[in-house]
Amino acid sequence: MRLTGARHYQEDTKMRLNRLPILLAALSLLLLACGSDGGGARPTVRIGSDNFYESRLMAEIYAQILENDGYTVERTFGLGSRQERAPVFSDGQVDLVPEYVGSGLGYYDVSQITGDGATNRDRLQASIAEFATVLGITPGEDTNAGVVRQDTADELGIDSMSDLAAIQDQLRWGIPPDCVENPLCKGALEQYGITYPPAQLESLAACDVPIAEALNGDAVDFAWLCSTQPAIVQYGFVVLADDLDTQPAENIAPLVRNDFLDKVSDADDFKALLDAASALMTTEELTTLGVAIAVDQREVDEVAKEWLTSKGLLG
Amino acid sequence: MSKVWQWFLDPVHWQGPGGVPTRVWEHVWISLLSVAAATLVGLPIGLWTGHTGRGGNLAVNLANIGRAIPSYAILVMVLPISLALAPTLGYSPNLGLSFIPTFTAMVLLAIPPILVNAHAGLLAVDRDLIESARGMGMKETQILGRIEVPLALGVIVGGFRTAVLNVIATATIGAIVSFGGLGRFIIDGRLRGIAGIPELIAGAILVTVLAVGVDLLLGGLQKRMTPRGVGIAVNQRAEGAESPAA
Repeated sequence: MRLTGARHYQEDTKMRLNRLPILLAALSLLLLACGSDGGGARPTVRIGSDNFYESRLMAEIYAQILENDGYTVERTFGLGSRQERAPVFSDGQVDLVPEYVGSGLGYYDVSQITGDGATNRDRLQASIAEFATVLGITPGEDTNAGVVRQDTADELGIDSMSDLAAIQDQLRWGIPPDCVENPLCKGALEQYGITYPPAQLESLAACDVPIAEALNGDAVDFAWLCSTQPAIVQYGFVVLADDLDTQPAENIAPLVRNDFLDKVSDADDFKALLDAASALMTTEELTTLGVAIAVDQREVDEVAKEWLTSKGLLG
Repeated sequence: MSKVWQWFLDPVHWQGPGGVPTRVWEHVWISLLSVAAATLVGLPIGLWTGHTGRGGNLAVNLANIGRAIPSYAILVMVLPISLALAPTLGYSPNLGLSFIPTFTAMVLLAIPPILVNAHAGLLAVDRDLIESARGMGMKETQILGRIEVPLALGVIVGGFRTAVLNVIATATIGAIVSFGGLGRFIIDGRLRGIAGIPELIAGAILVTVLAVGVDLLLGGLQKRMTPRGVGIAVNQRAEGAESPAA
């Protein structure tokens, strides 16, 4: 027991010494911030993201905007899928995450989802009002989409999801394994008269690399991808029209924890910073930036910085 | 844990193409096939380098590089290649999607322990014994077949056990490229989030039970195949070799 006591004491001193430079850095930052903006608390922002490029990109954009304004940012990107990331956020282990307003709302209540982004945003806000705030949405969106190869589209003369029911058995389907209990996947397919599960089925995660490779390599004829997925541009796939509007509006918005906003002295200014970036992010920009990351293999922080600079958001 | 029990008790999970028996069978046959292929490649090389003492370092180091590359990386690297080669080589693209990447990754995982143990097992055989055999006029193939292999059998089978254990545990990643097997429960469970956790744990338990069960079976076999007394001595000398429990 005595030994442990001694060790504790040692660690305590070590930690105090370690904290000293951090304290100094924090102090000087505070002074700097005071100098430039005339005051205002800028607590450290812990930003999280899902484990795919677009979520990382949006999180990195938020991070750079806030850093540019004098905030310290802790990045914990790649927290997994929504099912894994949402509890991390609601437990308060991160303060800020990018979210798709349709599926994000669906996580809490699928029956409320609509095809309108602003409505989805408001309803998502109502679902999480207890602990978080939904900031402004992007005009751009990224929805799930049925995708086929160009040659399949030409041969069979299809361009919308409604064309598929009649030829269901001729096609080999690439569908995520969690589709069966997802009303936006299985439910949507059934609305189009497609019997689930199709006879020829490969279980591949949606919006992932293997499913896109499988479609390109002719191992499946239909794949459940994301509409801004770089592989669509890269391989010239055809996105089938969702003519029955089964997919919800999936605009992207930052979710911020309320307990964090309370610590920021000028919360409106904080929101305005992020809203300015969201307002400029269109579907085309999402696609272009995605290609830069996933096809041209460029670093997410570099792509984010270039985009922010080109929009004059780092001024 | 009670939810995991419920998962096991639900008869739905024991029927049809997605049921436990089918998945176990898929898992077993890809594992058997991969280890068999790895034996065909790794065993002759290991026996040759161990017997002649030539090229041993090169072969062992190459095999170990194979071991250092994560199976997941092999899987995603092979995927686009095996899909692209399908039209040229005339196999079904579905083989290129799921079977070929999984099989390749598993063979590359199984070769190192088989090769390295065969090599180390033969090296550990007493040189005097081999010289005496040569002095008696035995041919090289006779020395290999009648002296070296029987004496090193315990170590060789040990490598084989390690390979089987590794492959059964790792073949789960095949589910990423739509291959069946017990990995299906783990990958599907993960994608379903919190609701899928019982399925994920059940899958992990099934893989563990299968791997440990097969290993115990092979352990019994190994004991029977090693000549009594010799096994202990050989095992003690073959210090560089893989222990099957690794």
